[in-house]
Amino acid sequence: MTPALPLALLGLTDAAFSGFRAYAGRDARIRKGRANVRAALRGLAVGAVLLLVPALAAVLWLAAAADRDRAYDTLAAGGRGFLLPLTCYAVAVALSLAAYFLLPFRAGTLAMVIGLGPLTLLRPLAVAAGCLAALLNGGGRPSLLVAGLAGAAVLCVEPAVHRRWYREVR
Amino acid sequence: MDRLEISDLIVAFDPHDGRRLPVRRAEVVEQLRAAGDARAARIVAGLPAGPDGVLEPAAVDRLLIGVHTELQRLSEELRIGRRLVHLLGPLLTAIRTTGVRGPYRLVDVGCGLGYLIRWLAATGALGPDVELVGVDLDAALVGEADRLARAEGLSCRFVHGDAFALPEAATVYVSTGVLHHFSEPALADFFRAQGASPALAFCHYDIAATGLAPVGAWVFHRARMRHPLGRHDGVASARRAHSDEALLRAAAAAGMRALLYEPRRAANPFCTTLRPVLAVRPPLEAPLRAALGRASRRLLGDEHFTPAAA
Repeated sequence: MTPALPLALLGLTDAAFSGFRAYAGRDARIRKGRANVRAALRGLAVGAVLLLVPALAAVLWLAAAADRDRAYDTLAAGGRGFLLPLTCYAVAVALSLAAYFLLPFRAGTLAMVIGLGPLTLLRPLAVAAGCLAALLNGGGRPSLLVAGLAGAAVLCVEPAVHRRWYREVR
Repeated sequence: MDRLEISDLIVAFDPHDGRRLPVRRAEVVEQLRAAGDARAARIVAGLPAGPDGVLEPAAVDRLLIGVHTELQRLSEELRIGRRLVHLLGPLLTAIRTTGVRGPYRLVDVGCGLGYLIRWLAATGALGPDVELVGVDLDAALVGEADRLARAEGLSCRFVHGDAFALPEAATVYVSTGVLHHFSEPALADFFRAQGASPALAFCHYDIAATGLAPVGAWVFHRARMRHPLGRHDGVASARRAHSDEALLRAAAAAGMRALLYEPRRAANPFCTTLRPVLAVRPPLEAPLRAALGRASRRLLGDEHFTPAAA
């Protein structure tokens, strides 16, 4: 199975959360459900554009390869390697979010303190681990390049959305 | 090393009339350097000042509003409003059952942007017979709180000035994240003023002083706050937090029944980042415990703390 689809889904989901984070802490109103959704959509849009860069790099490398089947297999192996640490990270985030929203507030605090807060800080490390895994899983330099571009793209979404729409406190 | 918060130093008010006083940047920088906090000194050195070296009030106000807005995000994520209602709800139930007639007035001391008051107004969590008032010495923060409340049509009000000099008495005083700004003697004075007022109770939440608190504060402020001032002060706050014993000692100065809810021995530190010290007029304790039900086992008085610990 090609890892492209789950990677794209993860990347776009992460972009939506990045949009939310870019907005969070810039608006002191109490009721801001719609503004949260708007910020997530902005993150999604910016992420979709930025993630075109690694997608285009992969396509160009495939198009230029003498043996496209082999090149595809190499990229797919790298993609699977990239996916592994990111999936672990995404599962940890999903479990923390579920605990935060579904459990009573004390357990929700626990989910925030040992889950969501530290996981935000660990995000760049998860991306770096993904890049390393892409290399070590047989993806070689091309996969490392694509993974690096994809990692940079997802890490750029939050600052980009923040600068474009949420630089000022509302 | 003295633990100073930048936000305490870059604004100053006349204690008598609340008038804003000029703050010289170089003096704050020197104070922070003398306290051994070079990082904080660098942050202040980067703040704009006029030709006379006085920090620009408008720039400081903008900065503090921004930092408080980010701080509100932490309160939202940690569901501070819901945590307060968990205790304030039973407290108001207890007050109602003792025959005291409403409306009741809840006054948030040092309300900042008034998140708690606005959240309570937006959710109606305490009932329609509770008037919600936020008070702060910082005119810019109070002004912003008022603007935000009006923008959302919330039924609450904000007052610039001294919370203990309001024309109408409070029924209950509350605060969040204020107590660590006081030294222990000043804390006793703070509680004493509430004991001397007609208020029936107070309930002040502050950072739980655990070994984990500075680490947790570093992680959260690093992850959630953007301005270095907010990150610095967040960790400094956790380091300055008063112990359970110190809070109980100081609250005893109010001459009321002083209690701690969810102190270290009755709570998991991962689940309780803020915990309150409260005091009630003696006839209120039994109805409060009854209204809390099983949760009243988390409500401890000084008899639960050994003299050695104190």
